[in-house]
Amino acid sequence: MTGSKRVRESVIVAATLLLAVIALRMSARAPGELSTLDRGILRVVSPAQAVMSTVARAIAGVAGRYVELVHVRGENDELRRENSRLRAELLETRRLAAESGRYQRLLGLKDLTPAETLAARVISIDASPYFRVARVEIDRGEGTVRRGMPVLTPEGVVGRVNRVAGRTSDIMLLVDPRSAIDVFIPRTGGRGILRGKSGENGYRCSIEYLVHGAEVREGDKVVTSGLGGSFPRDLAIGKVSKVGAATVNMYQEVEVTPDVDFARLSEVLVVAAPPPAPDPEAGAHHPPAPTRGLSVYR
Amino acid sequence: MRSIVTIAVSYLLLILQSTVLELAPVRMAAPSLGLLVVLHVGLSEKWSVSSAAVVSFITGYLLDLVSGAPQGVHSLVFVLMVLFARALSARVTVAGLILPAAVAFVASLLAAVMIVVVRAQVAPDGGYGGLRQAPLEALLTGFCGPIVLGILRRIDGRIDATRSRVGLARGPRTAGDGMTLR
Repeated sequence: MTGSKRVRESVIVAATLLLAVIALRMSARAPGELSTLDRGILRVVSPAQAVMSTVARAIAGVAGRYVELVHVRGENDELRRENSRLRAELLETRRLAAESGRYQRLLGLKDLTPAETLAARVISIDASPYFRVARVEIDRGEGTVRRGMPVLTPEGVVGRVNRVAGRTSDIMLLVDPRSAIDVFIPRTGGRGILRGKSGENGYRCSIEYLVHGAEVREGDKVVTSGLGGSFPRDLAIGKVSKVGAATVNMYQEVEVTPDVDFARLSEVLVVAAPPPAPDPEAGAHHPPAPTRGLSVYR
Repeated sequence: MRSIVTIAVSYLLLILQSTVLELAPVRMAAPSLGLLVVLHVGLSEKWSVSSAAVVSFITGYLLDLVSGAPQGVHSLVFVLMVLFARALSARVTVAGLILPAAVAFVASLLAAVMIVVVRAQVAPDGGYGGLRQAPLEALLTGFCGPIVLGILRRIDGRIDATRSRVGLARGPRTAGDGMTLR
């Protein structure tokens, strides 16, 4: 290799490393911000992800039906035909019923949530096991969704919006290690910060800095505290699945299994606007209570 | 031409990686298909180190966008991985079935450690945890390695055939060669 070519090769390699470091520094300074180029790329990538997601679900459905049909091979032809037809109808009906149920529960949650919400469809989840992120597509409300907005399902909290590009948004799941949510255990009155445990098998998170109220037990419910200005209070998070050994300081660490089945996440609600502000008079007569609702979105 | 086709293939593989889990009966790790593209361009003698680095950077950047990771995490790790692959290719001929699988397995573990370290620099709150899934991811990447690397080699071969038809044939990279994008 001639000297000039070697220099050129080295300069290009160094430039790619430098570009990567610059991109890292920018994302560390302004997490969630996307450049115009990034938005442009996402506008191309997201529709392809949506199409692939639809295709993958269709294939999974067909494969599931095939597995069902394999079990009736031992029966005679007429019964098998009849059976397969009925099974196919039943599966289709169940699928439709489940879908309808999901939408109804989503609508129910929408009615119950004291805030403006937007329904969104999940088009990909966990492309990297080190970042627990789901990408959702919202048919309406482009321009309404902003970083920090909470995302829910009827089962409980999913996470919060991390990046927005057009109709698609990245949701940082509550099991992502970057996620921090102020939570509360109603039975004991204990409060702490819920953090994700990325890369674990399954989806888990743990409460750090849980102030001892009373002894936490496995199975205790965990809900949002409403503090921190992001999530409304009393939204279901999950249940305590493991209690750490008592620590010498005033904190206790517990593991939480989320109520939401992230592996089968298909539709979610984005809380797009805060609920009505609390009555200012109430604060004058009572000690400060956790805020109810959402205050600041960046 | 070769770079553009490879970037298009890596784009398709990343889209596949982000949605393939829909097919899995239980939630599990996915193979790191983007990393296999990086290994291909790093190990192949048809690629100059600069063009391999550029393709790796773009693949990593795309993965950052597809996966929702902070920008630059996978870009940086993939550029470092391509340098690792190039250094490896100078010492070992990665051919057959077992060796590509083993290289993909080891590279996946190494990349996982680097991703967690880089992530900790960008988001210190996340800490250094999260490597428990790395062995399973590495196993899946190792399993897919020979297949994906084989496909990418075939694509390279097709491009060579096309180039030779139009009189642009180029042999393997030698010490005297050096191009940024082909």
